[in-house]
Amino acid sequence: MIKFVRQLQFQLFLLPILAIYSLFTIYPLIKSFFLSFTNFDGYTKIYDFVGLKNYARIFVDDAITSAITYTLFFTFGKAILVTILAIPLALILDQKFLTRNIQRAIFFFPSIPSGLLLAYIWGFILAPIGSGILNTVLREVFNMGPQPWLSDPLLAKLSTIVVATWAVTGWHAVLYLAFLQSIPKDYYEAASIDGANRLQQIRFITIPLLAPAMTVSVMLLLTGGLKVFEIPFALTKGGPGYETYSITQVIVQRGISETQYGLASAMSFVFFLIVLTIAIFQVTVMQRREQDLQ
Amino acid sequence: MKKTSEKRLWILDILMLPAGIIAFFPFYMIIVNTFKTMQDAAKSPMALPSKWIFTNYIQVFEDTSVIRSFWNTLTITVCSVALIVLIGAMAAYPVVFNANRITRFAMLYLLAGFMIPFQATLIPLFQLMSDLHLIDKLYGLITLYTSGSVFVFFLMMGYMRTIPRELTEAAVIDGCSVWGIFWRIIFPLLKPITITSTIFQTMWIWNDFLAPMLFLNSASKSTLVLQIYKAKGEFTVNWPMFMTLTVITLVPIFIFFIVMQKHIVKGIAAGAVKG
Repeated sequence: MIKFVRQLQFQLFLLPILAIYSLFTIYPLIKSFFLSFTNFDGYTKIYDFVGLKNYARIFVDDAITSAITYTLFFTFGKAILVTILAIPLALILDQKFLTRNIQRAIFFFPSIPSGLLLAYIWGFILAPIGSGILNTVLREVFNMGPQPWLSDPLLAKLSTIVVATWAVTGWHAVLYLAFLQSIPKDYYEAASIDGANRLQQIRFITIPLLAPAMTVSVMLLLTGGLKVFEIPFALTKGGPGYETYSITQVIVQRGISETQYGLASAMSFVFFLIVLTIAIFQVTVMQRREQDLQ
Repeated sequence: MKKTSEKRLWILDILMLPAGIIAFFPFYMIIVNTFKTMQDAAKSPMALPSKWIFTNYIQVFEDTSVIRSFWNTLTITVCSVALIVLIGAMAAYPVVFNANRITRFAMLYLLAGFMIPFQATLIPLFQLMSDLHLIDKLYGLITLYTSGSVFVFFLMMGYMRTIPRELTEAAVIDGCSVWGIFWRIIFPLLKPITITSTIFQTMWIWNDFLAPMLFLNSASKSTLVLQIYKAKGEFTVNWPMFMTLTVITLVPIFIFFIVMQKHIVKGIAAGAVKG
């Protein structure tokens, strides 16, 4: 009896999290799956099952196809760019030089404020009109005409990637830095006795030993990238046209603004599957790579 | 040997200077423009003000409810984070110290939450929030954020596993209840992981835009990020005003950064090494 009471007391500690998580995460996910097969519009209680119709509509809806393309382009573009920049940055910030701490703080700080705020700040720099700060620089220094940084389809996409990269590179460099500092110094000493120069040491010691850090960093970049919303929303509002619509924005647009609940639910379920697939694939591939490198 | 290394490091200071300047430039740009008139900012956006003015700051405090938004954000963040940490720590306790089939199942059930993006649940969540009358209420948003305690639960669980068993076993012999063991022994020991969890949860809730945009409508309930979003529409031409508002909202974030920098870095390292 006492044992039973103790068990019960223990289980009570799980009750709050199970209740709130079931109500606000699991129940909506299941309902989202259910709604994706209906034509529910949020107003009338009567709705019909429409089978896979909503899923078929995903592929013919311009905003949705464009959002999927852009989100994937943004995610991989940002992940590659950040990784290419963060590793050398971490290697540099690991050296002892005079301005190291201030440089670390400068690169790290942009990862603290909201992405919306950072993107608005960059909005002044990238403003496509002549008064945009970057365009002013180009005019005065290179005598170039104004470039449509945020209104040309390709430039707008690249601009959002650059801003996002600026925002998180320092954060990822700190992550790599933590791993760099855990590499035993004797490895480098042994290598230099064997006659390896600094570049060879980086190539054959540092990079392979950073592989686990890369797995974590890339996973965070991919899952975070797929959920992108604030940066393109604040920079371009999703434009020009639907060119920089993120998946999140299109779910909000089609679902909440236009109350096409069925279509938006189908989209959100597809999104869930994309996130799941990429996460699983990435972790498996990169963990295999870790084993190969070590 | 010593000479070459010193020389190389000196080069790093110089090489990194332009990179640092470029990285910092956006912040310089908005700060410098808050001290300019509209005309001055439009004419030479990058130069130092031709005449330093401070009226933008006074005007922002007069024209916008930035103070109100600050308190709203603070209320939402403090309450949500406190609840998240508490609920997460509580949930980890039976899973670690009373492992059985039920708690293992609960753990796997919660683990699934990692893979479910907020966006995937958005549509039914919106309906649910309106059915429960949680829309446009600060406590509504707090309730919603609290469901994010799953991540903290996993951090807590990992940390709790390092607490020696003997500690709780001794307490049981001394007649301490299940409830008492958690509050008097376990919870105080969780301080380091509580700090890490608090910092990371604070950062994301303070900065969140999507949930406040969807679930808070009235101006009086606006958060700081939401206020920035609304101000963007109001001050389309008045750049200095908008920039001033932005700088004001950056102040608490900057203070947080300065005070917490060491802990944040430690948190990234710890989380990363474990992952």
